[in-house]
Amino acid sequence: MLEKMAKYSNAEEWADIVPIPQDDGPGQPLAAIAYSDDYVEAMSYLRAVMANNEMSERALHLTEDIIRMNPAHYTVWLYRSRILFATSSSLPAEITWLNTIALKYQKNYQIWHHRHTIVDALNSCTGEQDFLSQMFELDMKNYHVWSYRQWLVKRFDLWEGKGELEAVESILERDVRNNSAWNHRWYLVFGRGESCFEDKERVRREVDYAKEAIHLAPQNQSPWNYIRGLIRQTKGPAALSLASFKQFASEFASLDDPDNVTSSHALDLLAEILAEREGDAADAAKALDLLAKKYDPIRENYWKYRKSLLVGQGGVKAAA
Amino acid sequence: MALVSGPGRGGSGGGHTLPEELHLYIDKHVHYIQTLDTRKDEYEYWLTEHLRLNGLYWGLTALHLLGRPDVLKREEVLDFVFSCMHEDGGFGAAPGHDAHMLYTASAVQILATLDAFGDLETRVCGGRMRIGQFIASLQDRKTGTIHGDKYGEPDTRFIACAFMALSLLCLLPIINVPLSIRYIQSCANPDGGYGSSPGAESHSGQIFACLSALSIANALRTVNTDRLAGWLSERQITSGPGVGGLNGRPEKKEDVCYSWWVLSSLAMLSRRHWVDGEALKRFILSCQDEVNGGISDRPGDMVDVFHTVFGVAGLSLLGYEGLEEVDPVYCMPRSITRRILGK
Repeated sequence: MLEKMAKYSNAEEWADIVPIPQDDGPGQPLAAIAYSDDYVEAMSYLRAVMANNEMSERALHLTEDIIRMNPAHYTVWLYRSRILFATSSSLPAEITWLNTIALKYQKNYQIWHHRHTIVDALNSCTGEQDFLSQMFELDMKNYHVWSYRQWLVKRFDLWEGKGELEAVESILERDVRNNSAWNHRWYLVFGRGESCFEDKERVRREVDYAKEAIHLAPQNQSPWNYIRGLIRQTKGPAALSLASFKQFASEFASLDDPDNVTSSHALDLLAEILAEREGDAADAAKALDLLAKKYDPIRENYWKYRKSLLVGQGGVKAAA
Repeated sequence: MALVSGPGRGGSGGGHTLPEELHLYIDKHVHYIQTLDTRKDEYEYWLTEHLRLNGLYWGLTALHLLGRPDVLKREEVLDFVFSCMHEDGGFGAAPGHDAHMLYTASAVQILATLDAFGDLETRVCGGRMRIGQFIASLQDRKTGTIHGDKYGEPDTRFIACAFMALSLLCLLPIINVPLSIRYIQSCANPDGGYGSSPGAESHSGQIFACLSALSIANALRTVNTDRLAGWLSERQITSGPGVGGLNGRPEKKEDVCYSWWVLSSLAMLSRRHWVDGEALKRFILSCQDEVNGGISDRPGDMVDVFHTVFGVAGLSLLGYEGLEEVDPVYCMPRSITRRILGK
């Protein structure tokens, strides 16, 4: 143990520091922690420098050492960011270092919060989009990365003409079922305010985009949800009616040809359209029965509930 | 509570071939949780130190739901919980870790489960109010959001943590509840779901957090129930090896922990029957290590205490025989929330 605990205790640079061992509190068999020797030593020096609130280059290196061993230790990250600012360390250098850690540990909250803090202080997002592309090469649905990306868009005004929409489209070209990318698209196109929902040209472009994606993969839920979102949110000159999608939904789900439905989502939308008109309630019921019995039986109870809302079909139509 | 995973894997008994014979190995899971703390010499043990207090809550809750509330020694658990408490009333994940909302909520849930609010006052003068004030200090009084710690990022999960802890302490009114409710509403997406912040993708875990907070504040009327419950019911996998399991977002893999996040959300919306309960039950049971106990995220992966508690809690919501009833809002035994909240 003693020979192994050499990295800090044998170093000249750290000679003035008296390491503080782990104090697990009084009598705690539940929490007694057995560490690897390197980690035990590094942590005992961390406790000592944190107790002195030391803001130094060596303390910065110590946090790096610990983060490499245990990147989820949130307390070390917070200490590290305080040192960075107190010592006016190079923030671009921090980002370069952070990139290697982020690529290695993908499901980690601390890394992204730290990045947020540093990039905000840098007041520049140069290189960020390229790095995010690298992250997406590893996992195109990483929630931390997408959340960070939204913050970046808002913070640095990347809404339009800054390559964001193109980046989303390139991801959707590779995987049209990536719901995170669909969500980011919605955020980019409509996230700046309610007036976006009144922009006829914008709305028409989005409808066309979603329809095209549906043609590629009719059973893909995301673009159908996108269209439903458009129907609900658009207004004024750009308002879309539910009924205007009847023909489109029928391309994938026709009651005249109930054995050849290619999308349960189309059938679902068709049922909703038919339910709007009292005269079509019987057809809506047919569509919902098809879903319950043939195309989506695992959700039978949901479809039965929808049917119970139909006027004149044994139920009362609920307010929308 | 140690968070080392394994050594066993879920589905080791080949459950998929004999689904009708699957059952819950209660004694094995109890033993699995009980022995987690004998594994302190493993590398992964210290790597998960930042989750220790959460882990204790997960293990303790699982044991209560499994009908074995006395397996962990009360005084030892309390000693550990209090050793994580800071002067300012917050709790860290382990001694020496900074105070954070996530661990403060776990600490309060553990104290509530062990009927230890009296111990809190005895051990820490004014302890209850101190915890309350720590939580209140993390609310942004402009936006209503709640931060994870004094430096931290906002996330709808922290609102749920704050509401759970404060309501258990009977201190909810010390924060601005309507403001936080409005923040949650601003996180609603067109698909009916909620994300971690306004505009963020709908995610079943975040939806649980938002619905839990809204339930506690008696504000579920702000939810588009049919739309959200419809989206949640679409999380059930309809074919392939994971059939019956639930995922967290469209086109993602099934995972036992979503048996909890999705099903509890549906239960809060009174729409639990919108997923196929039998199919889900079979999926969860197929993720057990039938030899050494513990539940994994999906068959073939390593078991851990996180997936064990949420698998067991999911089965409890499905009314599995022999399990204690779970409260879908708090993920705690219903008998305990009833005792504390009086409802």
